[in-house]
Parts: sequence; C-alpha cells; structure tokens
Amino acid sequence: MPKRFNITLCDGPSCIHKRSKKIVSTIEEQLKKLELSGKVGINLSGCLGMCAKGPVMIINPGYTIYGGFAEKDIPEIIEEHIKNNKPVTRLIIDEDHLYNRFFRVFGDVNFFGKQMRIALRNCGIIDPENIDDYISLRGYEALAKVLTDFTPDKVVDQIKKSGLRGRGGAGFPTGIKWELTAKEKNDEKFVICNADEGDPGAFMDRSAIEGDPHTIVEGMAVAGYAIRAQKGIVYIRAEYPLAVKRIKKAIADARKEGFLGKNILGTGFYFDIEVRLGAGAFVCGEETALMLSIEGHRGMPRPRPPFPSVSGLFNKPTLINNVETLANIPVIILDGAEWFSSLGTEKSKGTKVFALAGKIKNTGLVEVPMGTTLREIIYDIGGGIPQDKKFKAVQTGGPSGGCLSEEYLDTKIDYESLAAAGSIMGSGGMIVIDEDSCMVNIAKFFLEFTQNESCGKCTPCREGTKRMLEILTRITEGKGKDEDIDKLLRLGNMIKKASLCGLGQSAPNPVISTIKNFRAEYEEHVRNKKCRAGVCQHLLVYEITDKCSGCSACKKVCPAEAVTGSLKQKHSIDINKCIRCGACYKICKFSAIKKS
Amino acid sequence: MNPLEIIKRKRAQAINRIIAKGYLSSKRVYVGMATCEIAAGSKEIMEVFQEAIKSGLSDVYLSQKGCAGRCNLEPTVEVVEEGKIPLKYGLVTKERAKEIIERHLKKGEVIKEWLIK
Ligand SMILES: Cc1cc2nc3c(=O)[nH]c(=O)nc-3n(C[C@H](O)[C@H](O)[C@H](O)COP(=O)(O)O)c2cc1C
Ligand code: SF4
Ligand code: SF4
Ligand code: SF4
Ligand code: FES
Repeated sequence: MPKRFNITLCDGPSCIHKRSKKIVSTIEEQLKKLELSGKVGINLSGCLGMCAKGPVMIINPGYTIYGGFAEKDIPEIIEEHIKNNKPVTRLIIDEDHLYNRFFRVFGDVNFFGKQMRIALRNCGIIDPENIDDYISLRGYEALAKVLTDFTPDKVVDQIKKSGLRGRGGAGFPTGIKWELTAKEKNDEKFVICNADEGDPGAFMDRSAIEGDPHTIVEGMAVAGYAIRAQKGIVYIRAEYPLAVKRIKKAIADARKEGFLGKNILGTGFYFDIEVRLGAGAFVCGEETALMLSIEGHRGMPRPRPPFPSVSGLFNKPTLINNVETLANIPVIILDGAEWFSSLGTEKSKGTKVFALAGKIKNTGLVEVPMGTTLREIIYDIGGGIPQDKKFKAVQTGGPSGGCLSEEYLDTKIDYESLAAAGSIMGSGGMIVIDEDSCMVNIAKFFLEFTQNESCGKCTPCREGTKRMLEILTRITEGKGKDEDIDKLLRLGNMIKKASLCGLGQSAPNPVISTIKNFRAEYEEHVRNKKCRAGVCQHLLVYEITDKCSGCSACKKVCPAEAVTGSLKQKHSIDINKCIRCGACYKICKFSAIKKS
Repeated sequence: MNPLEIIKRKRAQAINRIIAKGYLSSKRVYVGMATCEIAAGSKEIMEVFQEAIKSGLSDVYLSQKGCAGRCNLEPTVEVVEEGKIPLKYGLVTKERAKEIIERHLKKGEVIKEWLIK
C-alpha cells in the first residue's frame, strides 16, 4: 500500500507569503500529472521557525523538511518523494529544533497549521507523569547545558538577547528582570512560578502544567542558576488539583534524577522547588500580594518599589515569572536567543498562548507566533463563529483587558498593537463574542468580577468599582440616565490613575473599551430602553402572537399573574405587571411568545 | 562527566525504558488526560483501552497525554503508526473506543467519520 503523504507549506510572513499560491499551484499541477490528485494533503501553515531557509515545506509522514528550493525543484520533489518514496536529499534541510515537535504529530490539521508551539511544545505529545518521556525529548538538556557551558551571567545575557517578555500580563522584559535579581547580593534568593491564573475564561497555565510539568521545573532551575537562588516556589491555586498533583510528581521525579536538590548533575549547584497552594483569590496573582500570601499573610498588594527583585519574599531578592514565561526558557537555551528573537514582531518576540473561548467553533488552547492577526486566530484556527452568527467583538486580556470590534480584526497580536487598539495582550484569555451578546452586560460581567475580587485596601478601587457597577446595573435595568455614560468614563479613568495595584488600575478597561467601541449600544440602553441582543432581562418585552393555541401553560407559570386569557383563546401579557422572568417564554410549546 | 554528558546518558536510558514499555509496537495510542479531557470522560476511555490490553490486545503502546487544545472535541484519542500520518479521533465515547479497538487497532480499518480534520 502506498503511503498517504501530507505536504505542509509555510505560509508565514518572512518565508514565502506572496509566492505560496504559486508554489501550491505548481505542486497541484505536478500531482495531477502523476495522477496523485486528491491522494496527497496540502496544508498552509504559519511560520515554522525556519525563516532563514525559506521557502519551507514539510512532507509527512517522516517529517522531511525541504528548504530553500526553487519552483523548478518542485516537480522533482513531488515525483521522487511522493511517487517513488525517495526523498530528494540535496534539498532537505536538517533543522531539528526543540520546538514544533508538536507539528510532526499535529501540523497537518488546519487548527494546528497556523500555530507554532514553543511553550506548549510537549503538551499533548508526552505523558506528563512520566519523566522519561520528557527526558527523551531533550528534557533537562537546557539545564545541563547552562551548568556545563554557561556562567550565570551568560544565561541572563541569553534571555535578554532573546527578547522574551513576561507572559503573565504586563510584558516586562524577562531578561532585565533576571538581571536585576541576579545583581542583588544576598545569600538567599527565590524563584517563584506564578501559576495563580485567576482570569475568568483562562486556562493556559493550568493546561501547560498538566500537559508538561517538567518544562516548568526545568525553566525554574535554569532561572535559579542564573540569579543564584537556592529555592523555587510554585504558587498554584488549589482549584487545580490535577495540575498540583502533576507538578508535585514532576518535582519529586526530578529530584530523584538529580535535576533538583543537592549537587545538581554533579556540579555542586543546589536548587529545590516546593509547591504552595493559593486559595484562589484573583488579587493573589498580583506579585506582591502573592508573596504575602506565601508568607502566610492575607494576600494584599503593597506599593512598589521596592520591587520583588530587590525585596520580595521574606524581604529577599525574588524573581517572579509566569508559567508560560518559564516554559519558553529551555527552548531559548537550546535553540538559541538569536533564533528565538527572529520570531515574532519587532518588539514582541516568540509566540503567545491563548485560551480561545466563547462563540467560536474550535475552542481550546492555541499558540501562535506574535504578529498573527486576530482574524487568523478567530477564523483560520478557531474556525469562525458557529451557526453563521455575526462576529461582534473579541475580548482579550480578561478583566484587565478590553473588547475590540470588527474593524480591529486585522490587528496583529503583540503587546504594542493590542494596546494601541485599546485592549491588551494580558495573560492570554481570548473570548469571542457574537451578535447574541450585549456589550453592556459583558462589561458588567467583568466589572462584577473585579469588584468582587478587589481586596479593599485602597478607596478608588474599592468604592469606585462599586459605583461603576451601580451605574452599569442601572443601565441594564433600563434606569440609565443620559449623563451615565460619561460618568462611567470619568470614574473609570480616575480609578485607573489612583489605584494601588494592577487590579484597580485595569478594572475599568472592559467598560471603557466597550463604551469606546460600542457606544451606540450603551445609548440604546439609556435612551431607548432597548437591548438589541435581547440579553438584559429588564429591557425585554414579552408578547403573545397569533400562534397562541390558548393552552394556558404560560398563565400557570407566570409568577406575576401578568398573563390573562381564557382556555383555547389567545392569551395576552400585561406588560406593566410582567417582571420579565421569561418563564412563559420557556414553557410555551407553540413558540407563540415573542421576546424583543 | 560533565552535565551534558550525564544528560545524554540519561536520555539514552530513558529512551530504552520507553522502548521496554512497548513504544516500538506497530500502533501507539494516546488518550488525552488533562482536566478538560477528564471532565469530558476520558478516564473511562482510558480504561477501555487498558482493559483491552489486559485481555490480550497486543502490539499497541498506550499512553496518556495532556491537553492538545481541542476542547470542543474531547475526549480525544490519537493513533500513531510508523510511516503513516497520525490520526486523531474526537468526541470518543466508550462505545467508540471499543470500535476503535475492534476496527482500527485489530483490523487496521480507519474510522473516517470520527476523525478530527
Ligand atoms: C490583579 C492581578 C492579577 C494577576 N494575576 C496573575 C496571574 O494569575 N498569573 C501571572 O502570572 N501573573 C499575574 N499577574 C501579574 C503578576 O503580578 C506579575 O506581573 C507576573 O507574574 C510576572 O511574571 P512575568 O514577568 O513572567 O509575566 C497579576 C497581576 C495583577 C495586578
Ligand atoms: S487596587 Fe484594588 S485590589 Fe489593588 S490594592 Fe487597591 S483595593 Fe486592593
Ligand atoms: S403557552 Fe403559548 S400557546 Fe399556551 S397560552 Fe401561553 S402563549 Fe398561548
Ligand atoms: S415573563 Fe414572567 S412575569 Fe412576564 S408574563 Fe412571562 S411568566 Fe409572567
Ligand atoms: S515564515 Fe516560513 S519559516 Fe518562518
């Protein structure tokens, strides 16, 4: 039986781009000539990380990579490789990078073709509970490499050169953070992995730990060596039992193999990690609150400076990094800072993981090169909106982020572009919103969340978010006043400026961005008492149409006795009595009740 | 020995142990076992495969794996055969798992309707 082949062609920005259509058609012509049409899969993918050798094409099975070929080489590749099963050695490039191993197994599917998995390179590939699986894929080699060949300063230097920025939300340059902590003179220092992940809708860090916990252990050990720390702490929420179990097992197994503890890999380097459980308060993800929580106090942010790099956990210099940030470290060490910094955009290097959720066909974790557009993520990878509904907005950055409307779909994913568009990268929550959602209600949802999670230490955040929420509630109940919208903006900007920590400083963002991009919807709520998506209960009008059979079912369930009518006659609703509970709408078997 | 040499040796040992567990079987089966997959029922699916191996299904390497990012199609099961494109089944139920064993693993028949594209 002949093999079924699959060709993946890089469609990434720097490699092939405009020529890919031509190459595809040349491949197709040749396949036709050899009567192989339809028997070979062809996929276009995002950047494959081999830009210097483009154009790049991978033929599977076998993961044979062709690079730097010309159009005239294509007939030969197809005939020899696909038809005669004899790879064309002179055009094969040997690029066995650590990343994109994922691609070998999954890259032929559209969902993965546009992705590039660096942080998630092993996720979904290896058994996360078996250290052998990790080691077999060059696991702990980055740690061995730095212990063999690198001084701590050189490690810091590499991370700086890579251009990696913190994936926990703020995007601070990781190398600089490492340098600041490394240069502190102190016998005791800490490395903390922030795995608190409190954003609603986000599950990137949980999945990363569950799928590949050793990567975090290795990233932390490399960090420990670089800043000369002896102790690492993984701060993870107790609501993630499987992730907790797997990271604990990984730490124990790593210790057994000599990757943690005393005399690591025979070098005299000491570093060990323990796990601390968080109770699941959003504010405990904020670094200063997190450290207080580890010390056994109530997790409340404190002003910075001093920054953790100078005075952190137990007043010792502390490096605190997000899960995804740490997951990138081994790759940067093994594949090189230069390679890493060739990926992405000018100021945002590498890839970013998103948790794609909401009204989208393919929900799940995706990792894409920086510079991928929102449209590519939502339509090419996410498969678009289900049931042919219309796209309305995409929410990025969770409760600290904002909602972008359709006109921003071609925005490139990087820290600066998203900020310029009025949202943020954040930690990677991405919620797609369709026409059935009410933007005022969405803003209210996020504000309710932050208002609940505010620790109460400073007044603007504690009181201000409460006032904003009152106004929003009023608007959704049809009691909004004309000046409310501008009041929200004024209050929001004040809270942003005056709050102590990132929670308060970003809490108004969902409200501000929805007002900016969807002001008309707010105005409809306030002036016309209308919710175009039919979400805000208080603004709904229930009406009985001619389809009514007079079965009286609605009359029986109505708690407000708003339905009148006698059996077998058309019923009607007294709109003044109706409390908009929707019970009648749900029970009517004849779809006779209209909601608007 | 420097750390790089140590890790090289460790890798060789790890690979040997994986092979000893049957990695070179003609088919490898991976069941998604992240929180999301388990919530979708993947533990039961895993048990179906474990049972089948206990009661004589041979030449199959079974392993768990983390989330591959297909939340809406979980539970997922991958079947990897050397020299062929890896296949991914989505929305696997206990019944489907049994059929995958009977038809795909035993008879080599790919059940196209259940594949993730
Ligand atoms: C309210 C609030 C919640 C936060 N939650 C998290 C979190 O869950 N995970 C995280 O890594 N960072 C979180 N951060 C950001 C951290 O304070 C810190 O910047 C980050 O862990 C630094 O790591 P990085 O440089 O690797 O991104 C939060 C910040 C604020 C203000
Ligand atoms: S901004 Fe809010 S969460 Fe942050 S310290 Fe002030 S009250 Fe607490
Ligand atoms: S339940 Fe529907 S059909 Fe029956 S009386 Fe009410 S509106 Fe009419
Ligand atoms: S929405 Fe509720 S209160 Fe209004 S008519 Fe229907 S059942 Fe009665
Ligand atoms: S754009 Fe093709 S390999 Fe990077």
